[in-house]
Amino acid sequence: MRDFFDYLWQRRDHLFDLAVAHAKIVLTAIAIAIVISILVGVLVYRRPRIAAFVLAVQGASLTIPSLALFGLLIPIAGLGYRPVLIALVIYALLPITRNTVTGLRGVDPAVLESAEGMGMGRLRRLLRIELPLAWPVILTGIRVSTVMILGIAAIGAYVDGPGLGRDIFDGLARIGSPTAVDLVVGGTLGVIVLALLSDVFYFLLGRLTTSKGIR
Amino acid sequence: MTNPGGKDGGASRPEAMIELKDLTKRFPGQKQNAIDGLTLEIPTGEIVIFVGPSGSGKTTTLRMINRLIEPTSGRIILEGDDVTSVNPDKLRRRMGYVIQQVGLFPHLTIAENIATVPKLLRWKRDRINTRVEELLDMVGMEPATYAKRYPKELSGGQRQRVGVARAMAADPPVILMDEPFSAIDPITRGRLQNEFLQLQTQIRKTIVFVTHDIDEAIKMGDRIAILDDRSHIAQFDTPETILSAPANAFVEDFIGSGASLKRLNLTRVTDVPLVDWPTANVSADRESIRERLLRSDKGSVLLLDDEHRPVRWVNAGDLDRSDEPLLETGLSATPAIEQQATLFDSLNEMLNSLQGAAAVVDQEGAYKGVIDIETIGAAIRTMRGEARQRYRGEEEQQTGGLESREEPES
Ligand SMILES: Nc1ncnc2c1ncn2[C@@H]1O[C@H](COP(=O)(O)OP(=O)(O)OP(=O)(O)O)[C@@H](O)[C@H]1O
Ligand SMILES: [Mg+2]
Repeated sequence: MRDFFDYLWQRRDHLFDLAVAHAKIVLTAIAIAIVISILVGVLVYRRPRIAAFVLAVQGASLTIPSLALFGLLIPIAGLGYRPVLIALVIYALLPITRNTVTGLRGVDPAVLESAEGMGMGRLRRLLRIELPLAWPVILTGIRVSTVMILGIAAIGAYVDGPGLGRDIFDGLARIGSPTAVDLVVGGTLGVIVLALLSDVFYFLLGRLTTSKGIR
Repeated sequence: MTNPGGKDGGASRPEAMIELKDLTKRFPGQKQNAIDGLTLEIPTGEIVIFVGPSGSGKTTTLRMINRLIEPTSGRIILEGDDVTSVNPDKLRRRMGYVIQQVGLFPHLTIAENIATVPKLLRWKRDRINTRVEELLDMVGMEPATYAKRYPKELSGGQRQRVGVARAMAADPPVILMDEPFSAIDPITRGRLQNEFLQLQTQIRKTIVFVTHDIDEAIKMGDRIAILDDRSHIAQFDTPETILSAPANAFVEDFIGSGASLKRLNLTRVTDVPLVDWPTANVSADRESIRERLLRSDKGSVLLLDDEHRPVRWVNAGDLDRSDEPLLETGLSATPAIEQQATLFDSLNEMLNSLQGAAAVVDQEGAYKGVIDIETIGAAIRTMRGEARQRYRGEEEQQTGGLESREEPES
């Protein structure tokens, strides 16, 4: 145990760099996924059949094992950062899209009727009423996606992606040697810390961006 | 009442704010029209009630006026302009809209909710703030307490008040209301109705008000349109005429039994002559009270306290029971009737008190007079006569009749 903490302390700069790279690719993927998912959600939530289809496709893509998806992306996107980013975006889509659709559908019809009856146009209703009211649900989807792809990003090291997965895969490659366990546990611990940090971040973000009236 | 600038001239009724011309709606995939050739004029500054059984098309008709539902055919005229195909968002900003579920925006404060339409109309911030305060005051909600609250922090009655304030925010000439008070408990509903009527005497908006409750219609309406299936108008007239001269069996049925009783809701105590009743101070001696009783043809004397407030009714028998203090004999005269109360309230009080009469008081609670069964009977006879005359008068006008309207009843 003592040795493990010594290890963490010695490698602190290296681990910090890996964690930053890990967070960066995850945040980038989440940002892209948010834009796509909310757009898709807004386009389909009033069309039940199309919505069901889109969600089914996204759901199916979630069942592809991540190792397989990274492998499949190599011919298209090569090795390194790009295939990992693409795969992470794909995985992040479903929770956000689904929650966007659920959130928008959950808006009280009486609220929409009064908004329309007062002369708010379609776009204004969407931006001023529907999205703000659906926001807490959408944010939950974003949080779920983030935690999920934080884990998946670690596997991205398999195709030479950035982040804490590198130490994990290094460790796995030299199982039996004295540092193997330290590498694996260190990398894993990093991912867990990032997940906890993201939860705190989203909790605070939710507080700041959700109206007191719907909390 | 004259009609300056009236377009159709001649008629003495006020100019129509809204005209519906042969309005028809058929929902996609249905064989029958949901609204079938509705033609109606809604006069400026009046409360017009749409009342009718469930499914008769009241909501559909109302929603066609602000084009939340587009009519299949027919025309909608607002203040003389054909608005059947203008931009619906702009049209809606000229009409307040209040629905049963209110539909306040839960993520916005009360002030922001009320400011919705003024913001759409790009009013200056100062003007909006002033207006919001004015409106909250108008609906009886302290701005300092409520402006910053969220809808979930209000009671149902308060939410409905805010709904009304929000609808009036940009001072639209027309307000459409779909069963605004029907989800509220009876006591609060009565209070909201009274407040709204009070407000209307100041703001004089043109109001189209949907309800399925005939009693609410009678209470709130300057005119009532009783709608049959597919919004066919069974009768469109004042509450008085509808109650005393229902146009057909459907209307009679809809009013239900007790039309005379309902009519009592139309007259207020201030509108009828009060009866002079013998009164005496509670501390007066029994002999002088008995004397007063003998000198009048009423069977009892009304005892008043030092502030002139009615306390008890006592008759000869009560006065004879000399062992009991006067204040414990006879019948209680409280609660007394206020002058704004309706004859219906008064009758109710009379029946409760077993006295067959009720004491009427002014705002300070001081005795003004007495209302008895006779007063109410007389009021019913007058109303019936007036309504009949009005009804006949209109028929004469329509047929160009020249005979005197004062013609006695046969
Ligand atoms: N969107 C719609 N699509 C199809 N039919 C409709 C639609 N809205 C209303 N209808 C039909 O039109 C008729 C009138 O409905 P409407 O809601 O106007 O009645 P209402 O008089 O307001 O009844 P209630 O007192 O129950 O509110 C009903 O037969 C109803 O089924
Ligand atoms: Mg209705």
